[in-house]
Amino acid sequence: MTLPSVYSRQWLVFSPSIILIRIAAFLLITALSGNTVVADTYKEKLDLQPLSGQFLLASFNFQSHGPIEAFNKQMFQLFPRSLGQILQYTHTRELHLRFALGRWDSELWGAQPGDGQNAGGTGVETWAWVEADNDVEAEARWTSLNNALSGLFCASLNFIDSTRTIRPVMSFSPTGDYPTTNTSRLFLLHGSLPKEPVCTENLTPFLKLLPCKGKSGISTLLDGHKLFDASFQSMSIDVRPICSPHTGTCDIEIQQTIDMVLDISRSLQRKDSPVPRPRDQHELICDTSKPYASNEYCYPMDNSVDLPWSLSDLFGRTISGGCPFAINLPAEETQHVCIHAPEDKLKTMETLELASPTSIESRPNSRCYMLREDVLFDLSFPKHQPPISPLRQEPLLYAERSFTGHGQEHGGVKTVLRNPNPNDPVEVVYLESLPWFMKPYLHTFKAQVLPALGEGEEVISELYYRPALDRKRGTQLEAKLIVPPNSVVILTYDFEKAVLRYTEYPPDANRGFDVASAIITIPSQRRRSDGKRVPATSIRTTSLLLSLPTPDFSMPYNVIIFTSTIMALAFGSIFNLLVRRFVAVDEVQRMDLKGKIKGLIGKIKKGKTE
Amino acid sequence: MALRVPVNLRKNLSVVLYAFQGLSILAVIVGLASLLLLPLDEYSRRTYISENALLPGQVHAYFGGSEQNIVRAFRREVDLLGNSTSDVVSERMAEIFRSAGLKVGKQRYSYKAAGGEYTGENVYAVLHAPRGDATEAIVLCAPWKNIDHLLNEGGVALTLALSRYFKRWSLWSKDIIFLISSDARAGPQAWVDAYHDLHGENIQSLSVKSGAIQGVVVVDYPGAYHRFESLHIIYDGINGQLPNLDLINTAVQISRDQMGLRTDLQEMWDHNDGYRHRLRTMLRGMVNQALGHSTGPHSSFIPYHIDAITLATHGDGGWHDEGSLGRTVESVFRSLNNLLEHFHQSFFFYLLMAPKRFVSIGTYLPSAMLLAVGLTLTAIRLWVDPRSRSGEVGEKVEEVKEKSEKGEKGKEGKAGEVVAVDVGPKRELFLPMSIVIGVHFCGVIPFAVFNSVDYKSMSSAFYIFIAASVILPTLISILITLTASPHRLLPAFHLSRCFSLLFLGMFLSTLATLNFSLSFLIGLFSLPLTFARTTPKSVPLALLNSILLQVTSPFAALFIIAGYWGLGVEDILKEASFGWWVWRMWTPVVVWCVWWPAWVVGRISVDSSFVMAAMGKTG
Repeated sequence: MTLPSVYSRQWLVFSPSIILIRIAAFLLITALSGNTVVADTYKEKLDLQPLSGQFLLASFNFQSHGPIEAFNKQMFQLFPRSLGQILQYTHTRELHLRFALGRWDSELWGAQPGDGQNAGGTGVETWAWVEADNDVEAEARWTSLNNALSGLFCASLNFIDSTRTIRPVMSFSPTGDYPTTNTSRLFLLHGSLPKEPVCTENLTPFLKLLPCKGKSGISTLLDGHKLFDASFQSMSIDVRPICSPHTGTCDIEIQQTIDMVLDISRSLQRKDSPVPRPRDQHELICDTSKPYASNEYCYPMDNSVDLPWSLSDLFGRTISGGCPFAINLPAEETQHVCIHAPEDKLKTMETLELASPTSIESRPNSRCYMLREDVLFDLSFPKHQPPISPLRQEPLLYAERSFTGHGQEHGGVKTVLRNPNPNDPVEVVYLESLPWFMKPYLHTFKAQVLPALGEGEEVISELYYRPALDRKRGTQLEAKLIVPPNSVVILTYDFEKAVLRYTEYPPDANRGFDVASAIITIPSQRRRSDGKRVPATSIRTTSLLLSLPTPDFSMPYNVIIFTSTIMALAFGSIFNLLVRRFVAVDEVQRMDLKGKIKGLIGKIKKGKTE
Repeated sequence: MALRVPVNLRKNLSVVLYAFQGLSILAVIVGLASLLLLPLDEYSRRTYISENALLPGQVHAYFGGSEQNIVRAFRREVDLLGNSTSDVVSERMAEIFRSAGLKVGKQRYSYKAAGGEYTGENVYAVLHAPRGDATEAIVLCAPWKNIDHLLNEGGVALTLALSRYFKRWSLWSKDIIFLISSDARAGPQAWVDAYHDLHGENIQSLSVKSGAIQGVVVVDYPGAYHRFESLHIIYDGINGQLPNLDLINTAVQISRDQMGLRTDLQEMWDHNDGYRHRLRTMLRGMVNQALGHSTGPHSSFIPYHIDAITLATHGDGGWHDEGSLGRTVESVFRSLNNLLEHFHQSFFFYLLMAPKRFVSIGTYLPSAMLLAVGLTLTAIRLWVDPRSRSGEVGEKVEEVKEKSEKGEKGKEGKAGEVVAVDVGPKRELFLPMSIVIGVHFCGVIPFAVFNSVDYKSMSSAFYIFIAASVILPTLISILITLTASPHRLLPAFHLSRCFSLLFLGMFLSTLATLNFSLSFLIGLFSLPLTFARTTPKSVPLALLNSILLQVTSPFAALFIIAGYWGLGVEDILKEASFGWWVWRMWTPVVVWCVWWPAWVVGRISVDSSFVMAAMGKTG
């Protein structure tokens, strides 16, 4: 019953602004089309996919294209001006920026969306191809790029200095096209901040870059409270030039994505109460087959049911119509919202009668919808018992990294790479970027294969190592290796912990130091035994917490505080002594008397005149 | 005056000797007295939360209500599995964890110690922090069988229920690991070793891991009774290491102030916070610390710089149930979850004498140090004593002879020098040095034997060894008395005591900074060594000394400890062997390689009095 009122209110709020935007866009387009510049195009898409363990993956993708000539002339249409000017100023040809929180559970959820290309390591990760004459210039531009992005995204990107910057050799290759640029003038720089907590202050500028700014379209679902309550969350921004091989014209593309994995049961429960109090006794789902089952005993039955959910339950709101820029006027096949699930589950799905969204039947396991302007959209699934196991794509590789050993002096790192495929080996580039105070012993770098390989066969085919310089740069270690089918490769190395200077410790020294996640890149493979082409994939391990020998800071701080107090006292009294004028007591009294009498007389006179 | 004294001292050494003797006695007395003063209000302090981030008891704990129905059901499940093998148990536990949607790992382990084999299978589950990055973790552990080999029904059931309950909260900043170890002694050790990849051959690696462990809480809630009276907080770690005091304070504050649960320490069930009870609590803590053994599953974590405690329920007549314990654990976990840094603010070296009363290292360290200083002062006195030179003061004629002979030799040797200030005879160092070093090397023998012998032959090996160490000093003293020339005998025994005491004193003062209690107790037992000397003239005195030494021998200490727990000596030795192989417990090393040699050297000195008296070589 409340739906019509919601609808009307939304219409009232959004409609004028959307009309304005449309008019503006129309004016822009007409103005520019006269200038023989093709208008920017914009696409947005939301992919929903239930994952095992009562999770839901929501992948938001926003993409806009514009001609590069217009971009170079600073004629921005849909491309965000704030970002565009930074890129131009710093001569950045291609930019990749990642914000991530939580971890992707590949055991449970399978392969990462978008082949992991949109995900970064925990915290902030960025890499860019900067055009410059030489290394020094590239470094300077990279620094100013990070400083500018830091301001734009409210992130500590300005802390990416030379100690956190690496130049990967094998792991990354440009995704854009550079027909006119001399590629030797392009410098790849990569930096990461594993400790950076990603939060709403990063989401707001992210949404501001979108043409509809979170006011309409699928981005209306992006609420900070929901996004940052997700079990895994990753935001990415990619800017790259794309050239058409036929026409030779180049576009600049900006792609923004958000992948989030929502815990359905937790999100639904949040709706009822922010505190997960114990449920009422009658709400418990108990196994009544147990011999002791009674009112007092409840053996819980979990995962016996697919919880019912709708977009508005999980996100707290519905999609308030399509973004006008993303709606092509001739209603061609534009997919705005797609849901991927087994057919049985899709059959039960209902789209709420808020609107009649266009359903585009494509594949049996997915269903797509086109949003219409000003028409609310919602979809819901009913309770399903027994649960339907959702779609899952086996990842190419499982990776896990952990510290070994303990103590203040030495440690070790152990990375386990597991190839689940029974037939095909996986070629992998393993990139490790370590802070300078973690000094690996390269001679201990070993790869163990289980089951063991035959004699003469080596797992590691190439190794690139750039040693650390104290306080100047970190270690960069890249290894190209092959993980044989159905086997496990265990990479291990030992390292030494450096002792930092007193001032180099952060305020929370005893927390430890974060070590950025290792980046595992799988280049695209032409053909596999099953005939499928495997796209380039990237996987991040979790970051690590390195504890270094930490001095007891409390004692020096006490000393500093005490000394400062004494200094302040001494200074105060000496200053006082120097500045104050001393007079004899009787003098003071006499002057006082006079003054008092004068004052009294003055008052009396005043009183009389009045 | 002040200037003249040293000049006079050269001529009148006895003043110095008396001063040293007085000082060493004074040091010992002050050391002992200061320990007894510690429980007084003036010397101990109230505990306080040092790490502000912990905020203990500041959140409402919700565990209870329908969750208790689940605990009861899990209790029945645990009860049903009571006598099953560890395979069946771990599979069932894994199934329950998996149904709660957690990552599950299992680990088999096998240790060999004292001829026995200790096997089992740990099962654990990792709850990923919703927004966490797997850098930090906290552990909730429940051993299947607790330290007294009782089925930990309540603890396991509560852990299973809490694993489901915790999963519904989205506020966790650290991963939570739920560990059900197969037993309370070897299981947690195998698990924590494997977590750091430092495990031995017969222990499986862990398949699932998380980040650095910040804290561990063990729940020990055995028996079928649901109700309990009070919460016993156990905190002693391996080798006398202790968890950060903040963790204990947090647990005490939450259970006492928030939950209204009485807390006990060191099995003091009716603590009235009076002097006697405080002293007893402290002394019990010191005994546990000195033994350096594991007092619960938490002990194995502490050497890895992971702060851990065990919350054990006590009594079955109270009105607290799973709900109270669950809420306590929940609240402790909320506090641990608040931690921004590793525990570091509060004390790692302390003695607790009541749940809310402690002394820190600065206050208690002097007492152990003073005992060690007493030993060292005695050693210095023995060195200065003219009896350390080859001749005895009592035998004036010989002494004069010796002095003149030796003195001349000395002068000849140092011809170029100014007239030697020291006119006394030289010290013969070779014989006493070789006695002391040789005996210390012999310490390896009992250490190796007791760590490799089977449990069955442990007691016979022990009695053989007692017999051997009773006879050995006598044999050595006979051998020396027979071979060495009579006038060198007394100085040799004198100097060997000196070296032995010097070594013991230095070692104990070093040890005091690491394991105060062990150092203090060994220092206490070694006191007779300061006065048990060679007295060939007075056999009754020698006899008295000999008896005193026997009473304070390492064996006597073993018997005392065995009696304290009502166990056989072989059980204690088995425990020591187990401790060495499983926990890497260093107490046996200290006892056999430091204390026992010092005692043997003392015995040689005393026994030689009988031998010399019997042979008529009275000096």
